[in-house]
Amino acid sequence: MTLNRDRLMDVLEKAHKGPIIKQFDWDTRTIPGTIAAKLKKYGLQKTCDPANPINQDLELADRYFEAALEVATETGMLCTDTQRAIRYSRDELLAGLDAAPAAFTLGEGKEVAHFGHRSISDPVPPIWVSPLSIAVSEDVFEPLVIGIASVPEVDCLEGPSFETIWGAPLRAGSPYELLAGKMQAERFYSAISKAGRDGIGLYAVGTSPTHYGVLGGFGVPGGYKPERDIVLVLSPVEIKTSYENLMKLAHAYNCGGQTYGGSWSMIGGYAGGPEGAALSCIACTIMLYNVYQCVNGASFPYDLKTMGNCGRNALWSLGVVFQALSRNTHICANSVLNQTAGPVTECLLYESAVGMMTLSVCGTSSCTGPRTAGGKYTNYITPLEVKFAGEVFKKTAGMSLAQANEIANRLLPKYEHELGHPPKGQSFQQCYNLETLQPTDEWRKVYDTVKNDVIAAGMPLS
Amino acid sequence: MDKEQLLAHLHDSILETDPDEAASAAQAVIDGGIDAMEAIQVASAAVTKVGDLFESGDLYLPSLMLAGEAMKRSMGILSRHLSAEQASQKKGKVVIGAISGDIHDIGKNLVATMLSVHGYEIIDLGVNVPPMEVIDAAQRENARFIALSALMTTSMPYQRDVMELLTEMGVRNRFYVVLGGGPVTPEYARQIGADGWGLSAVSAVKVCDRLLESNERPPVQSIFLQE
Repeated sequence: MTLNRDRLMDVLEKAHKGPIIKQFDWDTRTIPGTIAAKLKKYGLQKTCDPANPINQDLELADRYFEAALEVATETGMLCTDTQRAIRYSRDELLAGLDAAPAAFTLGEGKEVAHFGHRSISDPVPPIWVSPLSIAVSEDVFEPLVIGIASVPEVDCLEGPSFETIWGAPLRAGSPYELLAGKMQAERFYSAISKAGRDGIGLYAVGTSPTHYGVLGGFGVPGGYKPERDIVLVLSPVEIKTSYENLMKLAHAYNCGGQTYGGSWSMIGGYAGGPEGAALSCIACTIMLYNVYQCVNGASFPYDLKTMGNCGRNALWSLGVVFQALSRNTHICANSVLNQTAGPVTECLLYESAVGMMTLSVCGTSSCTGPRTAGGKYTNYITPLEVKFAGEVFKKTAGMSLAQANEIANRLLPKYEHELGHPPKGQSFQQCYNLETLQPTDEWRKVYDTVKNDVIAAGMPLS
Repeated sequence: MDKEQLLAHLHDSILETDPDEAASAAQAVIDGGIDAMEAIQVASAAVTKVGDLFESGDLYLPSLMLAGEAMKRSMGILSRHLSAEQASQKKGKVVIGAISGDIHDIGKNLVATMLSVHGYEIIDLGVNVPPMEVIDAAQRENARFIALSALMTTSMPYQRDVMELLTEMGVRNRFYVVLGGGPVTPEYARQIGADGWGLSAVSAVKVCDRLLESNERPPVQSIFLQE
């Protein structure tokens, strides 16, 4: 779906004519005040139930959606460059959601990925977009992408991203980033061809912390292709946009491309606890689909204390967000899963198992991940955890919320104590043979152990 | 109101995260002839309590930021009434910001507030701050510390730029440089010659305190806290 010019111009007009709100007031009064008021009005305070990490009360999820619609109507989305709020009426917001497609495709040829709206416990397997834009060194990029693209569960690619460009440090917002946008596309196309996955859809541009990577890489000769790839527009918290985001949007329009709208809310951050973060994420998602006209994406919660979203509070919050979106819209919502542990650790795979199952049963259309080791360390991402997460995501499709909740409660005690201080594990070079692209026996054994354990806990992975 | 009531009002206005009320309360304290240092100690106790409530998960970031703002507003009034000896006991200024290319502000705001809570004067440059702007601000404000966050690997080279610029400009020994942010590891901080690194906002305060206690001119043997 290409972008509508009238809607785009309306967004730009609102970004320059909307009500003035200073960012400090937005962060400390507008967002927390509105979130708190709606939590109270809709009886949502203290509804997080860590004993049941996957919410079973779907009427509660619906109330979250109604409350979020009010939040979005009252706050809108702040443009940080103009310090003005982009606001719509309730009816306009609903019309914007209605205008989003219930299905779309990325990629081409035999690699076309069919995204579709999913219901709770939908038996149709969701789409696995992998991995997140974790920084890797230039020598590692190709073997890693070949390894990940060779995982059959992977439907589209986003990361990894480069740490350097032709040996020079990659600086955000600089000419290096502009160059890296195209370089990444070229390296991707080369690697996926070697993996036999020509045509696989790409999220553009992983190596683009500002708009420059997108300007340099999307829609330019030899770069990402608007007819099969998609532009990432990632909004800052909390429910904000910026010229950088709006320039990516304008560039997508110029190129006839589709957009992905993403953001997040931190539990313990501006929106408060798990309930506030859930409410903020749903409200933000409503704004993303209106402001960016996106075909895919959503805002997702994660925990400020663990910097991940595989602990009980974050899982509960995550589940409610996507249940609410699944039941009250027809969008193709995408979540991000943030693991905290590194490769060759059981913790990483247990985080993936519970997190991916939660997203699969709660109605997400797609997920982007993993964020191995929290994305903190260069080259700490491998194909094996990508495969494991994809297996869980697809094979738990159709599972009931009750069954998933039971399994989550069996598995959480195996890793939740590690979330505060997760094990770093090993880098790609340490746990993979870069020639054969096979994991070490040690890593394979960890995978087998956890896989057998989650099967014993009730996951249909065999 | 008597002295106890005035100080309690100041304390409570910060605890209730009300910057306007805190400023009024601070002025009332001064008008009441109460020693400014005594009032600062009361205000510090209140904001420390807010920090503790945040750490325990009983309060969230907006409250912490508003408490920090309340502290800043009250300090703006109280500090003008400190004696020269009292003023010299302040910990010093910290120029803080998220470096170029990085628009993530939660971690930076958290560290700024916690440092403020613990007696540091904060010059917050915001996000996406170019290296030279950091150094200009540090020189202009006569800061003791430069605190830089980066949540993106693509912003980390700008932290290195700050270190190199400080050296090339011959002002490296004027500032302690402390780093933080998701992908910024102790190894990286050590590699580029930073004086300190902290895993969390709490450890950032401890790092700065220890650097001050060391009483050495920068660059110093690095202090890294994984707490």
